[in-house]
Formats: sequence, structure tokens, C-alpha cells
Amino acid sequence: MSHILLIEPDRILAETYAQALTNAGHTVSPCSGAQIAIMSADQQKPDLVILEIQLIEHSGIEFLYEFRSYSDWRDIPVIVHSFVPSSEFISNKNIMQNQLGVIYYLEKHHTRLKDLLAKVNSTLLVKS
Amino acid sequence: MRGKVKVSADKPTNHTSSARLLLNVAEELKVPFLQIARKAEIGQITAKPELSTIQVAAETALNLLENYTLGVRMSLEGYETNLEPVSVPAVLYDTSTRLRALAKSYGVSLELSIAGRYGPVMANKAGLEAALVSLGAALIEALPAQGAGQLKLHLASHRSPAGVVAGLYGQNKQISSEVLKNGRKLQNSSRQPLTNISHTSGAGIFVADALLDAMDLNLHSSRHQGLYGLGIVLKPSRQLELV
Repeated sequence: MSHILLIEPDRILAETYAQALTNAGHTVSPCSGAQIAIMSADQQKPDLVILEIQLIEHSGIEFLYEFRSYSDWRDIPVIVHSFVPSSEFISNKNIMQNQLGVIYYLEKHHTRLKDLLAKVNSTLLVKS
Repeated sequence: MRGKVKVSADKPTNHTSSARLLLNVAEELKVPFLQIARKAEIGQITAKPELSTIQVAAETALNLLENYTLGVRMSLEGYETNLEPVSVPAVLYDTSTRLRALAKSYGVSLELSIAGRYGPVMANKAGLEAALVSLGAALIEALPAQGAGQLKLHLASHRSPAGVVAGLYGQNKQISSEVLKNGRKLQNSSRQPLTNISHTSGAGIFVADALLDAMDLNLHSSRHQGLYGLGIVLKPSRQLELV
């Protein structure tokens, strides 16, 4: 069983994703924003982070830079799962992958729950 | 007044602003449609579809579309013929009724504060209510994402030197004139223009803006009993007060 930090600002979507991940056997800490997510990770180290980029106040990118600044969390895989199209980060693809440790960039509206679960499970499998 | 384009210092005025508003609305609609799609998917997995949540999401999308189209119609066709004496508390009550299911869905407590006696105002009731519903929906959806302690919004009215103010209020100190002004400027260039208030395109707020603009009214940052929010200043009708 793996622990997943789910950073999703929309309450309805957060409930749905958390339910799907829990049904798949994971424990989930849903967080609506970047600051609360850092506090949550501090309380219980996640095995994986699922991150929306569009957050209130601090963006998902700001979260990633802060998250990666702590040595304990440098190797935790991150799946970006966002309404923001990946094409907007095309010029920063290397930074996202190599510096910020983004394993997958999934566009939320094109990713069904079963596809998200498949990416989560494959990422956790590689990690273990 | 037909097809009037109002010039204001902090609002985009050229034709790109209407295209941008349409883009905002389209981006915003992805949220309820995604909620519907994923709730349907999880319902198939668990064999327990959450039909009430799906219904609220669908109605939220329909409301946004309806409010947007009303704003466009009012802007194109003028609104003066539909002016009528309007009771502000009655509009707030109707608005709260229309927002109740969405608020419940987001775990937000919606309180109605309509104490105080005001005379009627001359307004377009449908347009005013649509603006408040649009604004309210945007604030309700954003509230859980703001990390606020209390998920509570007040639909309230009060008197001010400028007139009767009707609006929505909560504990988010980030709601200010500056944030609203910057958001209006960024509406033309940013995917998330109101980063301190909303994680989405903030279409509900901009649709309210457009509806009010079509009625020669404005959305302002406003305070109510120590709370922070957005409100509309309405002029009381002296003649109607005497009747």
C-alpha cells in the first residue's frame, strides 16, 4: 500500500480521485493548495505526488521548487495532472523532467481514472 | 444605449475582450464537465453513481452558459425596457436558493444576511440575479481551494453612502480592489487571472462583470461586518420609496 499526496484544488474532483485511488488500495492525503501540501508531506512522507498546476496563491510549479529543495523529498516521483496543456511547458520539458522530477505530465481532461491509476501503479512499481 | 461599449480604466474594451470572455467560459466549463465524466466513471466502478453531484455539476455548467448568454444579449440589445422596481433582499433570497445545491456540494455554508429595510431599486431583476448567481458560483467553487478555515459565504446587503450594496462576503482577505483590477487586466493574457481568489479562469466573476457592465453597474471589492467580498452598488429609487 502506497501513500499518495493528491494536490487538487477542486473539491469534487479531489473527492473523486481520492476515492479511485483508495479503491485501488492506496492511502491518500488530499490537499487543496501548495502550502497545506508541504505541511501534509512533512507529517507523512508520500510515496508519490499527484499535482495540479493551477492552484490559488502558489502555483504547482512553485510547490515543485519548494518540494525539491528538501533532500528528503528529492526522489519522490511526481505526476502532474492538470488542466494546463503540456504544450505550455514544451520549452521547459527538461527542467520539468530532470530538475523537478516530473515522471508524467497528464492533461486532466484527457485522462480517465483507469489511465491515471495505470500511471500511478507503474510509477510506484518502478520506484519500489 | 444599444450595443453600448463602456469605457473604463481597468477593463479591456476592444473586441478581444468578448473573445477572451468566451474563452474564459469555455475553460471554466471544463471543470463541471470533467466532474460529470469522472463521477460517471467512478460510478461504473463502484456501481454507486453519485447522481446528485452529477446533477449539480450539470446545472452549474448550464447556469454559467445561461448567465453568459444573458450578458451578451443585454449588451447587444439594451436592457432599459426590462427595468422594474426590485427588492434587493428578494433578489438575494432568490440567489441563495439558486446557489444552495452547489454550496452543499462544495461543503460551503451559505448564509443570508438581509436585515435592514431598503426601498426598492430600479433594476433589471433577471440581470442582477444572474450576476449574483454567477459571482456566487465562482466564489463557492474557489472557497475550499483557498485553504480558508471556515467554508462560509454570506449573501448580504447593507447601506453605503453610494447606495444599497448587494454582494457576497467571506474571510478571504485577498479579495481587494487591486486583485480585481489586476484580474481584469490579466483576463486578456492569463489562464488564471485571479490567482489569489480562483484556481480556474474565474469566468463566473468576469461573466458577472459583463452582465453588470451591460446594466451600467459595476462590481467592486466591498466589506460587510468585517468580512471581505465583492458587491454591487445599487441606487435606491427615491420616487418608489415615496409610493
